Amino acid sequence: MLEVRGLTAGYQGSVVIRDVDFHVESGEAVMIIGSNGAGKTTLFRSMLGLLPPSSGAVRFQGSDIVGMPAQQVARLGISFVPAERRLFPRMSVQENLDLGAYPGRPDPETVEIVIGLFPRLAERRRQRAGTMSGGEQQMLAMGRALMAKPALLVLDEPTTGLAPKLAAEAYEALGVLRGRGLTVLVAEQQVPLAMAFSDRGYVLENGVIELEGTSEALAKNPEVRRSYLGVT
Amino acid sequence: MIANILDGVVLGLQFGLLAAGLTLVYGLGGVLNLAYGQMAVVSAMAVLFAIDAGAPILSAVGIGLAVGVVLGLILDQTILRPIYRLQGEARVLLSLLLTLGAAFIVDGYLTWRYPTEGLTLRIGGGPMDILGVPMRRGSIVASGITLVALGTLFAFFRGTTLGRAVRSVIEDEEGARLVGIDPRRMLRIILALSGFLAALVAVTQSMVRPITVSAGFSITVFALIVTVVGGLGSVTGAMLAGIILGTISNIAASYIGTFLSLIILLGAAAVTILIRPSGLLGVRE
Repeated sequence: MLEVRGLTAGYQGSVVIRDVDFHVESGEAVMIIGSNGAGKTTLFRSMLGLLPPSSGAVRFQGSDIVGMPAQQVARLGISFVPAERRLFPRMSVQENLDLGAYPGRPDPETVEIVIGLFPRLAERRRQRAGTMSGGEQQMLAMGRALMAKPALLVLDEPTTGLAPKLAAEAYEALGVLRGRGLTVLVAEQQVPLAMAFSDRGYVLENGVIELEGTSEALAKNPEVRRSYLGVT
Repeated sequence: MIANILDGVVLGLQFGLLAAGLTLVYGLGGVLNLAYGQMAVVSAMAVLFAIDAGAPILSAVGIGLAVGVVLGLILDQTILRPIYRLQGEARVLLSLLLTLGAAFIVDGYLTWRYPTEGLTLRIGGGPMDILGVPMRRGSIVASGITLVALGTLFAFFRGTTLGRAVRSVIEDEEGARLVGIDPRRMLRIILALSGFLAALVAVTQSMVRPITVSAGFSITVFALIVTVVGGLGSVTGAMLAGIILGTISNIAASYIGTFLSLIILLGAAAVTILIRPSGLLGVRE
């Protein structure tokens, strides 16, 4: 479904990710783990049209999406939830959700699914997005992304700034979505949660893919255990 | 006194509508359009020439509004193109310089070519009583049109997908792109709307006082003051500031004099900015 090859990108002459290769197949849940500053965000931004990469190819469902502006990538069926969430703070929860379906009208069935996953959003329908707690904002960001009925959901550190209980809830929701057949790609620092959720994973360190494999295999890898799972 | 307040509110609503056209373009694209007043004047001249050529008044007004829209689109496609390639402060600065240049050229040409022209739309009939105060029919028609335009504007921004998409770009441009909204297209639509609003205010103003060829810069300055006091990027703020400043300016004009009223207006604006640097309803940077 998604294939990234030789992606190199950075800011103002400094290379952040170098020659990154990875792929996501339809129906899979894939994680990209790495410490802070490893290049996860740069990888996603350059892959999705928010940052022009210096070289490399990105194919999504057969079309080449490198060089496409982010809004066009979004319309092709990739919904991206960035770590900063990028909600519309002075607009209501309802308006934020409705805009997720842009340019169409919100589909009632999708609304049901989103409300089913995050009942809090229905309670807060009229509240301004910017006045909600971090956890609720994360739910709204995920809800807004789902409103577009994406083929692929990409999340950058969905647990940033969340208490452990809320982080677990976010992954519970992702698990439900995966059960419905949604393809998910997630970058994460909180590795145990992502590992339990995903089928496969890649380890990104200093801008290069160091390791890859099934989540089970990665969980057994001594280096991964030492660096990311806190096992000595 | 009541008459002055009413007149002031009428003037203020028009200020607000005028400022909305400026504040939206800034909020959306980080572009301050200093040729805004000239857009209003050129539209007013189009109405004038259409009437001189024998067009009925409604068609002439229609032509003027269409000219305003076209001017907005021309601005978008010409001098704003290099501006869009820049970001942040550089963009604001270049937009100030280029639109100011365009404003001087248009202003110079108009005052050289048509030094004495001015648009006045006379609305027939005697004064009417509003809240027991006799008001000129021109003012009443002008405020009627302004109120309808305001209502339509709010309905557009609150109730339509396109209007919400425009607001979402003001809220968070990257967030808007992530849901599939093209900010550049929204800006084009808003520039056309901005031209329309400039033309509309020129038409309603000409029902109360003449719009002369040289009125461009003072229109821009009024719009800028209202925009800044209301908070850059906020249409509601522009309305609020418009009504407050319109009332202050009108009361001051009738009790103290026109020239001093301008100083009082600027003073009121300065005080607001000192107390609330981001304007009445502006967002913190």
